[in-house]
Amino acid sequence: MQMREATPEERKRFYAEEWSKRDLPDFILHTISLREFGFDYGEGPSHRYNQFMTVEQLASFLCNKAPYAAYASIALYEQPSMRKGWLKSELVFDVDAKDLPLKSCSCSGGVVCEKCLDEARRIAAMFAETLRSDLNLHNIHFVYSGRGFHVRATDDVVMAMEQTERTQIVEYVTGGVIPADITIALGYSRVFRERVARTFEHLGEEKLLKIRGMRKALAQQLIKEKEKIIAAVRRGSLREIEDFEGMGEKTFQQLLEFLTRLNMELTDGKVTTDTKRILRLPSSLHSGVSMKCILVRDIERFSIEDAIPKFMREGA
Amino acid sequence: MVVPEYVAILDPFAQEAQEIVRRSPQLDAMPPEVIERAINRVKWKSPKEMVVDLSASAIQAEVWSFYMMCQATAAVSFPYSREARLVTDATKETIKYRMYDLFKLGHEDLCLDVVKRSFKFVRLERNDGIRLGDIEIPRADYFKLRDRQLADAGIKEKEIDDRMLPQYVPKYAMRWGNLAPLLRHRLAELTKLYIVDGWAVITPHELWDFFANFIGVKTEDYITSLYERFSDTGAPEKLLNIGERISALIPPEAELRERFMRVPRGRLRPEFFPPCVKKALGGVGAGARNYAITVLLTSFLSYARVSPSGKAVTRMADFIDEISVVREEIAPLIFEAAERCNPPFFRDQPQEKASIFYHLGFGMTTEPRLEDSGRSKWYRVPNCRKIQLAAPPLCEQDELCRNVKSPLTYYHRRFVGQSSLGVGE
Repeated sequence: MQMREATPEERKRFYAEEWSKRDLPDFILHTISLREFGFDYGEGPSHRYNQFMTVEQLASFLCNKAPYAAYASIALYEQPSMRKGWLKSELVFDVDAKDLPLKSCSCSGGVVCEKCLDEARRIAAMFAETLRSDLNLHNIHFVYSGRGFHVRATDDVVMAMEQTERTQIVEYVTGGVIPADITIALGYSRVFRERVARTFEHLGEEKLLKIRGMRKALAQQLIKEKEKIIAAVRRGSLREIEDFEGMGEKTFQQLLEFLTRLNMELTDGKVTTDTKRILRLPSSLHSGVSMKCILVRDIERFSIEDAIPKFMREGA
Repeated sequence: MVVPEYVAILDPFAQEAQEIVRRSPQLDAMPPEVIERAINRVKWKSPKEMVVDLSASAIQAEVWSFYMMCQATAAVSFPYSREARLVTDATKETIKYRMYDLFKLGHEDLCLDVVKRSFKFVRLERNDGIRLGDIEIPRADYFKLRDRQLADAGIKEKEIDDRMLPQYVPKYAMRWGNLAPLLRHRLAELTKLYIVDGWAVITPHELWDFFANFIGVKTEDYITSLYERFSDTGAPEKLLNIGERISALIPPEAELRERFMRVPRGRLRPEFFPPCVKKALGGVGAGARNYAITVLLTSFLSYARVSPSGKAVTRMADFIDEISVVREEIAPLIFEAAERCNPPFFRDQPQEKASIFYHLGFGMTTEPRLEDSGRSKWYRVPNCRKIQLAAPPLCEQDELCRNVKSPLTYYHRRFVGQSSLGVGE
């Protein structure tokens, strides 16, 4: 998977030859005149407060300017060009492969590989499953953003919600709060068990040693018995973990809190709670990595191949 | 038999209650017993006080007194003040008790009819197992939820009896999205709810809690809207007097500081200022200078800093003990903003310095003393509509501005939560 910065010529070519309004998701296409658009011409997304009344206007703008990056607000406004008259906002989760708290690859800095992208994809799918099964949301869209995935829910029930409600949804979906009773079969306890089990699965000895009070021998033992611990977590049988030799009540609590914090880092909570956020426009070019930001219709069958622009294929 | 208007005692914002309000007499002709009820209801403790009998006159007195309590509170305080908390907390306790009482007397359906107007909910089905539509609730979960509820209520096993137990047993399921107003105020926690397929499984006790909290939130919003109205027109003398009597019932501050003080008096928090005030503080051009400095900043900064409550607001000296609050905290901010104007405000209009203190209620002076407080009127903060009309460049609304009508309400609301703007990858 090759990722490199696109040249200004390649950007121009992309918007002139490859970009199509058909690649815009319906949930944006149908609300285009109510959204604020932002553009980056190489110095960050500082050109905000743009409004397009029709998709043709947007098409013409993109073709003429070939921006380094294009963004659209998750919010709908009465006056998007002034960011006034907020009507509602999508509920979004930003799962960025480069910012995952635990990675099984060696990517660092802003670099991502197929492996960590796939981890981000799985997390996005997992979040969407909780939104569907627990919170009964049905209008959930996935967007490949270049270095990760966006989960965007457009159900009316969440679009009207403000920051505090969204904060609570982040806590629920990520498993960011230790439940009062972890053994309850359904509801949030189940979500928490699944998240903790997943996080523990990706945990290495080095990370475990960051926990206050964790001794090396115990960390080694926990890693060695990983399968057993994950099974215990899934059963809600935390006592088995607490009973590990050398664990102690305090260290166990520290471990649980550490795992919960890592759960919260699966997504950037600031993005979810900010109702005026602008997100990379699906269909646009991520010039930093030369990848198309695309709507993903089936997250289980996502292929990075679909996001490679022509100029990169031809270059390869 | 329960009359249809009886729903008004559970939901004072219901249509039935609105009808009763429409029939209310003018303020001056309000029966004295209604006025006493409006005052005393914030200290109701016993069931006898909270329960309303079935007569039309009792329901009428209940509704009128509720509205009078809210209006009088708004007349002497501000949103999120101790008075507002006292009123909303008392209202919640009252509604919760009434729900409990009606359930106990076999009027569950009446309560559910009222709740149904605000929340979508269903009853759990209990045949072979416990079902929520197509989903079977595991029996073990059912008992764990019951035990957790009992534990949260601090009820010990030996205290449980047949009358108490049904309150803590899962019985209904409510659409979680309906709880948004409570989630917003952290009066419900999503991770503490048992949510399956979009439904939060709850006990009767939780139903009462949620509904009472919901009415509490609406009461607080209503007081805020009244405050905004009074900041424009001023409140009638009679309401001010009733409000002062309600305010006098607040428990001693030291004891209940935690419970009531959500917006502390004291140090100003510029990060919570509304856009118009921030703009005025940064200095403005010749056209809007006078309004921005003398009218908006002077009133806003003084009311935000002093947070007058509990008394009819006439003089600042009723709320502060030291003139340094004016001289060293409020005035410097106003003078600095004036200096940042283009051209600097006081350079070509030095007489306006005295006008600042005049608007703060100290008369025309540049050396205010506490004993001068009340020499002139302490001007109230203009509402958003007035600012838009008088100084349009100052008004650059953000998201929260849409939901408030006064800069001071904005400031108080920001203590509850603040917004940010950003870009996501």
